[in-house]
Amino acid sequence: MSDVVIRTEKITRTYSMGDNVVTALRDADLTVHAGEFIALMGASGSGKSTLLNLLGLLDRATAGEYWLEGTVVSTLRRDQLAHLRGRRIGFIFQNFNLLPRLSAWENVALPLAYRQGEFRGQDQLNRAREALSRVQLDHRLEHNPTELSGGERQRVAIARALITQPAVILADEPTGNLDSNTGVEIMHLLKELNEEGRTIILVTHDMNVARYASRIYQMRDGVLKESESAHVTH
Amino acid sequence: MSLTDLLRTAFRSVAANKLRAALTMLGVVIGVASVIAMLALGNGARAAVDATFQSLGANQIQIGQRFAMEDGEFQTTGKTLTFADGLDMLATIPLVERVEMSVSKTVKARFGKNTVEINTIGTTADAIEGIASSGDIQPLGWKSGASFSTEDLLGDGRFFSADEVYAGAPVCVLGYQTALDLFSGDNPIGETIWVERTRCTVIGVVTELESTDVQQRYRSDPNEGLLMPISTVIQTLYEEEPSVYMVVHVTDANRISEAKEQITSYLRERHQIEQDAEGNYQDDFDMLTRNDILGQQQEAARTFSLLLAAMATVSLVVGGIGIMNVMLVSVTERTREIGVRLAVGAEQRDIVSQFLLESILISASGGLAGIVLGILAIPLAAALNQGVALLYPGSIPLAFGVAVLIGIVFGLYPAIRASRLDPIEALRYE
Repeated sequence: MSDVVIRTEKITRTYSMGDNVVTALRDADLTVHAGEFIALMGASGSGKSTLLNLLGLLDRATAGEYWLEGTVVSTLRRDQLAHLRGRRIGFIFQNFNLLPRLSAWENVALPLAYRQGEFRGQDQLNRAREALSRVQLDHRLEHNPTELSGGERQRVAIARALITQPAVILADEPTGNLDSNTGVEIMHLLKELNEEGRTIILVTHDMNVARYASRIYQMRDGVLKESESAHVTH
Repeated sequence: MSLTDLLRTAFRSVAANKLRAALTMLGVVIGVASVIAMLALGNGARAAVDATFQSLGANQIQIGQRFAMEDGEFQTTGKTLTFADGLDMLATIPLVERVEMSVSKTVKARFGKNTVEINTIGTTADAIEGIASSGDIQPLGWKSGASFSTEDLLGDGRFFSADEVYAGAPVCVLGYQTALDLFSGDNPIGETIWVERTRCTVIGVVTELESTDVQQRYRSDPNEGLLMPISTVIQTLYEEEPSVYMVVHVTDANRISEAKEQITSYLRERHQIEQDAEGNYQDDFDMLTRNDILGQQQEAARTFSLLLAAMATVSLVVGGIGIMNVMLVSVTERTREIGVRLAVGAEQRDIVSQFLLESILISASGGLAGIVLGILAIPLAAALNQGVALLYPGSIPLAFGVAVLIGIVFGLYPAIRASRLDPIEALRYE
């Protein structure tokens, strides 16, 4: 078996709401190997986004342990988490989350800009061009997000997630804001990237989207379970 | 993030809200302009005092009749400060080395058919030296600032002597223009003119003069006038004893306060000025030394400077709060952007730098605009203060530094707040 990228052991996330304690995620065990394509399915409020945020180092678990490429993350300080996030995690969001005042290539290069002194301006441009050409958008370098279609925006966001060669790409409902044809295109692109060796974890409530994954997990009321109907191929 | 990236981000963000940024800057603009104007006033007052130093020596005391407002007019008070007061002061007080005295009066002077109405100055012989060293006038075309003697002031003939002053000799020295007006170009030396109903022999003509103060040149012509021994003027041109203007030279500049006290008690005794019920003296004369002038100038400049300082402080604080307010709004508006930046690896210090640089950019731009406005406002400040204002070069870096500091101080809280946002909530923000 290939390298373990992500391993969680009984990670739990609870929120205090006044006197009530709400458990959004309960004792989740998850192991993801390099090159896997995993779908987390569940209704809204099932805890799948909570798990994705924890895996993306945007949030901390209340209990349990999480190893990212063998590193224990629970003891890391906020800036260490940011440091790791910028290098080892790529995010793809439902609403793209591109910065409106930056051009396509600048959006793509943004993770590099936060890596102090590692990449000069020309380096950033070259890398961004490379990443954009991977998503067939190298002719849109200087365009602003507002000048791009929804599918193009999501491809820019995917290029941004690719540019750092992350250990894992986390996609939260990547087709949620797209029409079905464009959604299919985006899923094909993600599938291709997975076939090129990218590890991808996808959150969706749509079985048609989840079908692209090699393993499917179901989330219900904060409990994670590997789906019996796994290994469905399209 | 590299500084160039941060600067580019800050510029874009400010440029995206030009009007908002411009309005936000206003407080800083006014504050910085006030700082420039304030320091220019202080600098101008200092320069004015320096100029005064030239005209009033460190060992000199000006004494004049005190005037008071009465029935809407300035009236002399108490007893007249007389020529005899001056002469006896010289004889009585050892610290007094010399007393220059003068009176002036507008008179009609006539030679043949030519009549002029001019200012006659009656002086002691040494008062001419006072005129020469006053710094108010200089021979026409004289190199500015270069000193000159009484000889340089004389165009033709001679000035009157101390003996002629004691004797009340009927002699006079004409101003350059007055000589031309009366004699139409003929040589006036040795001729006799009529000054009112007194015959007077012309013994000298002053060379052509100009005011050292350019503005003064339009107000009065130093070439029109007549100099006579003070005693002659008092005897022949006045019906009552006139009050004289004195410049007392003290033997030792370090003992000038002592001399001032002695002269005060001497004059109080002569003029029978008694202490009133509250222990005050109602003096009928005024004395002025270089230190007094210094104090007055500084007082005037200080009052106005304080006003400007208050204005500057208020504007800068208000401007700073304005910046803080706008930055807080900006942070809220850009919550999602902050979330994205945090998601792709921005550390807290990256976010702090980004927003701090933005507020510094606003305040520094305001500072630059304020410096320009302040320099333009200097003449206005001078006019309002009825004084002199002179750009103080150090005020430019100082004002700019203050502007940048305002940006830092008032931008820090919004920037820190931005950096502490929770990435998940920031990403979810609509």
